[in-house]
Amino acid sequence: MAQVKITPDMEFVRELQCAGGESLKKCFQCATCSVACPVAPANNPYPRKEMVWASWGLKEKLRTDIDLWLCHNCGNCADLCPRGARPADMMSAARNMVYKDLTQPSIIGKWMSSAKGLPILFAIPAILWMLVWWIRTGFNDGQWFPRAADGRIVFGQVFYGDYTIDPIFMITFFGACFILYRGVMRLFELFKPEGKLLIIGKTKPWFMHVYDVIVEEIITHKKFSDCGEDKENRKTAHMALFYSFVVLAFVTAVVAAGHWGGKVIPAIKLETPMPLIFPVKILANIGMLMLLFGLAALTLRRMKLNPKYQASSFYDWYLLGIIWAVAVTGMLSQCFRLMDAIKPAFVVYYFHLVFVWMLFAYLPWSKLGHFVYRTAALVYVRMYGRS
Amino acid sequence: MSNSILVVGGGFSGLTAAIEAAELGHDVYIVEKSPFLGGRVAQLSKYFPKLCPPSCGLEIQFQRIRKNPRIKFFTQAEVVGLTGQKGNYTVNVAIAPRHTAPHNVDFSFLASTLEGEATSEFELGLAKRKALYCSMPFAFPGRYVLDPAALTQSDKVKLAGNQFVNLDEAPKAVELSVGAIVVATGWKPYDVTHLSNLGAGSVKNCISNMQMERLASPFGPTAGKIVRPSDGHAPQRIAFVQCAGSRDQNHLNYCSYICCMATLKQCAYLAEQYPDAKITVYYIDLRTPGRYVKVLDKVKASPNVSFVKGKVADVVQGANDSVTLQVEDAIRGEKLTLSYDMVVLATGMQPSLAEAKLPLPVPVDEDGFIIGGEEAGIFAAGCARMPLDVMRSAQSGTAAALKAVQTVKGR
Repeated sequence: MAQVKITPDMEFVRELQCAGGESLKKCFQCATCSVACPVAPANNPYPRKEMVWASWGLKEKLRTDIDLWLCHNCGNCADLCPRGARPADMMSAARNMVYKDLTQPSIIGKWMSSAKGLPILFAIPAILWMLVWWIRTGFNDGQWFPRAADGRIVFGQVFYGDYTIDPIFMITFFGACFILYRGVMRLFELFKPEGKLLIIGKTKPWFMHVYDVIVEEIITHKKFSDCGEDKENRKTAHMALFYSFVVLAFVTAVVAAGHWGGKVIPAIKLETPMPLIFPVKILANIGMLMLLFGLAALTLRRMKLNPKYQASSFYDWYLLGIIWAVAVTGMLSQCFRLMDAIKPAFVVYYFHLVFVWMLFAYLPWSKLGHFVYRTAALVYVRMYGRS
Repeated sequence: MSNSILVVGGGFSGLTAAIEAAELGHDVYIVEKSPFLGGRVAQLSKYFPKLCPPSCGLEIQFQRIRKNPRIKFFTQAEVVGLTGQKGNYTVNVAIAPRHTAPHNVDFSFLASTLEGEATSEFELGLAKRKALYCSMPFAFPGRYVLDPAALTQSDKVKLAGNQFVNLDEAPKAVELSVGAIVVATGWKPYDVTHLSNLGAGSVKNCISNMQMERLASPFGPTAGKIVRPSDGHAPQRIAFVQCAGSRDQNHLNYCSYICCMATLKQCAYLAEQYPDAKITVYYIDLRTPGRYVKVLDKVKASPNVSFVKGKVADVVQGANDSVTLQVEDAIRGEKLTLSYDMVVLATGMQPSLAEAKLPLPVPVDEDGFIIGGEEAGIFAAGCARMPLDVMRSAQSGTAAALKAVQTVKGR
């Protein structure tokens, strides 16, 4: 057998342990996990090999491993693991390491990696939106809590769409898209096997593969079903959350189209706040309820995890926490507005903007990045097979 | 004050402790739960280190007991109470009725004519036994046992007038006065029904290593012919699943020390009976303590035995009563799904005290192994203390006997 010299990166092992894989050293390579995994293929299954790479500090092996993304974290491996090495958590810790290091500026990744970075992550949008609010008081006769001409509470009075929310969020959104694009390219670079890649047979263009992944896997959550029938609740909750994002994104798109399009074609003009019985508003509130349901179910699931088998890392709680913050402040803003409580309404709406900005601006370094990176990995697998 | 010694458990280490203490001049009482002495060793086909049949070592022990008037033993007996302190214990023993005459009556013909049957504990579920039975030819005591619960109505009529059978025999209670106690309560095979991913005992032809011993034993249900329990066919492809429920936090959280050697021994049984049969051993690590490594070298040299690193993590029923297992070959990084005629789960030893509690002040660890009690004059021997092979069990029996003797010496 050829001799392989291994240079363990101990710092990487420690980082992995901090990112949720603290039990990884307990692994004794029995390979139960690879069999327990319902989605691991017969050829080079996971997560046994990832466990030994992690243990030996083989950073590059793990970073370039596409299987990290094929894992959907059902936890079957952890349930059967004889040593309580928690392979499922190690896989997600390894993904967390990718979120942390994949894209620039990596300082955000560092802030995102523990609760210590939270104040600064919060302060950036908090100052930004406070600045916007302060500047806007100049347009509202120096009032911090102004009412519209007809006496209603209109959030746009302070956070005026055309000049504040829309440009800031567009820059944020397209900035995040650009960073994610670079991340995906970098990820593809990492996935590439050493040497030449020879593709035999017909290939489809990449966008057809994207279409296939979306239609066959994401829309149906097929991999979640493959994870086993006993994980149905997890699938339902994740689906609710996923579709609530789809609904709310659609509502946002409609409102944006109505607002900006309305400037050109007055017939489609749409202004907020919309009446409660307006179809788009009804859809938005349905989206909110789905969001709350999915969040509650996923949070309860995490709280009920037996730490002997699976635990939750900061990345898990950050993502759940930030979505909770967005959902609750969004819901309360609407409630206070309808109750005509002007001060709480604006304050809560301000926080809502802060949290929404955090959710999107930090997306490439947060666990929510899985939405893009995992999709990219699934597309890569369809394009090139698995190396 | 008493210089007698109580030995709880009549398996190899208990017998050894009892005999050693008695031969040093102490009165010894053995309390054994089952109807016969010999314990788990009696169930083996052959045992290490010399691979002799159990009759070999046990016969000598039984002879020493027979010839030594200082040793008294109670079978179907349990310790139910203890009072006093070190050097001066009063032990209450409850004895279940045997329902047969105290001398060795040959019941073999009568037993064979009875209708009532029950699953044989001694054969680990591989066979039925009659209501009137003796577990094996060299059983000691050689007295038959009658299990009234297994009798049919016509059996009862048949037995009604028999002067050597007493269906109305009542349980007995005795009180013993002892100065020290040896606890040699031994072990039981880990219950495979807990191993949900390994078939939980419901997959045909997926047997435990102890069942394999019974199949290989000339006195077992197949008279020593190793065949599939479901159809009696000779297996051609056999797999051994090491660490079945061992070194596993969900089952036995320790290594039982003997299962690797047991598997190597059973590979030899199979290779002897079926020179062409293909045998695969799936393991995490192979543990062959001390000189036993030579056995591994020998088995590895046989052309039809192969070793694959990887723990079997899934066992299901295949077609034609075959057994399908799934394992990752961790060296090659390949997940294999393979079909075998027969699969042997190398289960570990669980101390008997893991579930059953003794009315003795002996502390046990979370797994049920005894971890103390010596200050009270109570000494653990054999697998009640830790997983051991027969040789080391005997040694620990001697050690416990010496300690017990020192406790009661001079009284």
